Amino acid sequence: MNSRIKRSLAVLPVALLVAGAMGACSNNGNGTTTASGKCDSKIAFFGALTGPNANLGINIYNGAKLAVDQYNAKNSNCKVTLVQKDSQGDEKQAPALAQNLVQDPKVVGVVGPAFSGESEAADGILEQGNLPLITASATNPTLAQKGWKVFHRMLGNDASQGPAAASYIKDTVKAKKVFVIDDTTAYGKGLADQVKKSLGGMVGGTDTVQPKQTDFQATVAKVKASKADAIFYGGYYAEAGPFVKQLRAANVNAKFVSDDGVKDPGFVAGAGKASAEGSVVTCPCIPGDEAKGTFFADYKKKFGKEPGTYGPEAFDSANVFLDGIKAGKTSRAAMLSFVNSYDKDGVTKHIKFDKNGEIAKSEIVIWSYQIKGGEIVKDTEIKATS
Amino acid sequence: MPDATTGVAGPPLLEVDDVTMQFGGVTALDHISFEVRRGEILGLIGPNGAGKTTCFNVMTGVFQPTSGEVRLNGQKLVSRSRHQITRLGIARTFQNIRLFPEMTALENVQVGGDARHRTSVPGALLRLPRHRREERDGRTQAFELLDFMGIPHAANSLARNLPYGDQRRLEIARALATGPELLCLDEPAAGFNPAEKEELLALIRRIRDRGQTVLLIEHDMRLVMGVTDRIVVLEFGRKIADAAPAAVRADPKVVAAYLGVPEDAA
Amino acid sequence: MNFEFLFANIGDLTVTGLSQGAIYALIALGYTLVYGLLKLINFAHSEVFMMGTFGALFAWQLVGLHENNPIPSVPMMIVYLLVGLVGAAVWSGVTALAVEFVAYRPLRRRNAPRLVFLITAIGASLAISEAVGIATGRQQFGMPDLFKTTTLVTIGDAHITNLDLGVIVAAIVMMVVLDQFINRTRLGRGIRAVAQDSDTAALMGINKNRVIVLTFVLGGVMAGAAALLYNLKIGVTRADIGFLLGIKAFTAAVLGGIGNLRGALLGGLALGLVENYGSALFGTSWRDVVAFAVLVIILMFRPTGLLGESLGKARA
Repeated sequence: MNSRIKRSLAVLPVALLVAGAMGACSNNGNGTTTASGKCDSKIAFFGALTGPNANLGINIYNGAKLAVDQYNAKNSNCKVTLVQKDSQGDEKQAPALAQNLVQDPKVVGVVGPAFSGESEAADGILEQGNLPLITASATNPTLAQKGWKVFHRMLGNDASQGPAAASYIKDTVKAKKVFVIDDTTAYGKGLADQVKKSLGGMVGGTDTVQPKQTDFQATVAKVKASKADAIFYGGYYAEAGPFVKQLRAANVNAKFVSDDGVKDPGFVAGAGKASAEGSVVTCPCIPGDEAKGTFFADYKKKFGKEPGTYGPEAFDSANVFLDGIKAGKTSRAAMLSFVNSYDKDGVTKHIKFDKNGEIAKSEIVIWSYQIKGGEIVKDTEIKATS
Repeated sequence: MPDATTGVAGPPLLEVDDVTMQFGGVTALDHISFEVRRGEILGLIGPNGAGKTTCFNVMTGVFQPTSGEVRLNGQKLVSRSRHQITRLGIARTFQNIRLFPEMTALENVQVGGDARHRTSVPGALLRLPRHRREERDGRTQAFELLDFMGIPHAANSLARNLPYGDQRRLEIARALATGPELLCLDEPAAGFNPAEKEELLALIRRIRDRGQTVLLIEHDMRLVMGVTDRIVVLEFGRKIADAAPAAVRADPKVVAAYLGVPEDAA
Repeated sequence: MNFEFLFANIGDLTVTGLSQGAIYALIALGYTLVYGLLKLINFAHSEVFMMGTFGALFAWQLVGLHENNPIPSVPMMIVYLLVGLVGAAVWSGVTALAVEFVAYRPLRRRNAPRLVFLITAIGASLAISEAVGIATGRQQFGMPDLFKTTTLVTIGDAHITNLDLGVIVAAIVMMVVLDQFINRTRLGRGIRAVAQDSDTAALMGINKNRVIVLTFVLGGVMAGAAALLYNLKIGVTRADIGFLLGIKAFTAAVLGGIGNLRGALLGGLALGLVENYGSALFGTSWRDVVAFAVLVIILMFRPTGLLGESLGKARA
């Protein structure tokens, strides 16, 4: 009797959704995304807010959030909304989220995607929607070489981080034999390949681990047998933490050097304070207290803690879009040309993108950080050698 | 209902009261009533398909009757679960042997006795004194029962490796271990030779002499006539006779329905 | 194929393989017990294990032991180990019971077909893992260090650490206790009786539902013990660790002969060794490929696993 009514009721929202989606698609298809009015523009955060590597995403979100809140405080008559898309750091989730953003014509810029793997999966879709993006953290070099006009990167890529990490291992650690490990992700493998290239004959063994792996004893045995005095690990902190714990448990004391994906308190939590001690991470990101202006103090005041990795870069990324909105660039096409011609100081560096969307070479900074007493403290700025 | 009068009539132990059992459209038991009196050996006979095993299954909780009630010592059994009925005092064997094949004979008997033990899980894990005492008593009792059934040599063999006759005896020992007031034997002599049947007869009498009441389903008329105090006859799910062996043998209805043919063959 | 590396490090690979295998074995027991009893593959058992890792962590936090605390003294370490074991065993046991009561018992009462149980098991597994994932923000949690890992003895080229030795010994002790419980006690006899013929067991006075509850609890407690050892050895947990470990443990159970307790031990240890040797020989990324290839090959020659199936045949 009423089951028929129920069924048609159930279909109704789906039909509405489809109709809405089709409307949005046709808009984009014509390339005439019209933002109605000036004061309802949105920028989006795209990255992991939950998931094993969520801390990295949360830092970026907070940086962007600070920028948006400061903007809204100054422009209370014309506020900008920060949309969040939680990818869980999972590239399988990324395409659907990207599609979702493309379909909302009010979204004129994306801070993210945060990781290289999800960038590979999502950026093509953002490109189709002509939606400009600035990533504050995805450092795989190939992302800039795929012809995506919407792609921009607020920091140096792994082609500069890799050689920097290698020169740190050579010059500061003074290692003779290096074991190089990657986690098979676009980011970890890309970076490890750069490091291997720069180290050349010093590479004394290689191995791979899998994302979400927790038992690393086979790799530990290989490192141990290689008698390497330093390890470079390309990957994220979720796996690096337990790996280092198991490494130290097997009495392997080689210096552990890793990357920005490992630069997080989650690494210390996973490895244990004792095992993590002395590990080094490199990062094309600046320490929070090296940022110009009042960023460090503002951030600390708002979130009750010091800015984490990529916080300053995310702040700069969001501000590029906010400047665009302020200048009335409320369509995606206008925003894209605004970003491409941007030429202004941020808190991390002077911001100017080249034709591939990379930050100017002279502006790239790479820092090393060290784990001391369970804290990640800044070490030195590494001069990029290439 | 005509009541039979026999020499050993005690008070009723088990009452089957107007039980009907239907499977789909088939009526397996049709308003059956009879009682088992304390201390007797009652035979339950009838041609194949008469409903004897169904009757056992209703009594032991395997089937829920469509209507009617079964009482043990006045307590209602219908809708109680099987293990509760066993603990109330009914134990049985099976027409087709159903031992725990991968346990030793001793363990099979112990399982029967375990129902009455009280050890808690932590007690068993920590091997508290009560657990140890109960385990020891259970083993002693199991050995005694194996001895009583004439198979002490089988104690440590896996049940599935025992010869057929020993398996039948082991089933009875396991049933006795549950400490029943009423022991239900479903064709215990099936497949036995005449000498073994004689032994079994003696054994059933000894079980009764231990104070247990016995309900016996059996095809072999000589066995039934020789050992029972009273016989209930079923045919097509109906009770057609309930009397002392001699009277049943003489009952024309019984002879017509059942005895005529197999009597000649036996 | 790197035979040179394999033989040069065979001792170390064996020790660490055995300790990982011991954890597989303890989890495998849960699969094997429930399968032996109900012919049901309880896929939710992986989450029973996962809950145990959090149970130990919560118990430690409750008594004030946090991930960055300094290494405690030996008596305190023993206290913390016991606290962790109780926490893990209780959480795992309760989870196992909840799965039985919420997911399986209602189906059993309605005589649901076996396929329905399987789907329910997978559903329960996903539901628990996702619920914990949402509750914990899918974060990864580190474990406190209870002792410093040191090499106790060196036999040939095998460095036996206190951690590996502890894990292996603890797992074997748990297995022996369980084996004795199943083979030598009334409750264990009850479990074997129901496994062999549940209808007859009921007619012999055994309360089938109580036996099933007991079995889920036993499996849960073993998973809890595995969870504690995992916390000590691996040092991190998160909501989705159950899946891979569960698959591995289930593989171990099948390898040894599902339904067979001693098979679970043998299967777990064998899987741990094969994984380690395989990674040494072909490279770490081939670890799972080698492990499952070995499973397939063994099942080709012994379709019921190394020791054959049957909880009743728990005796070797």
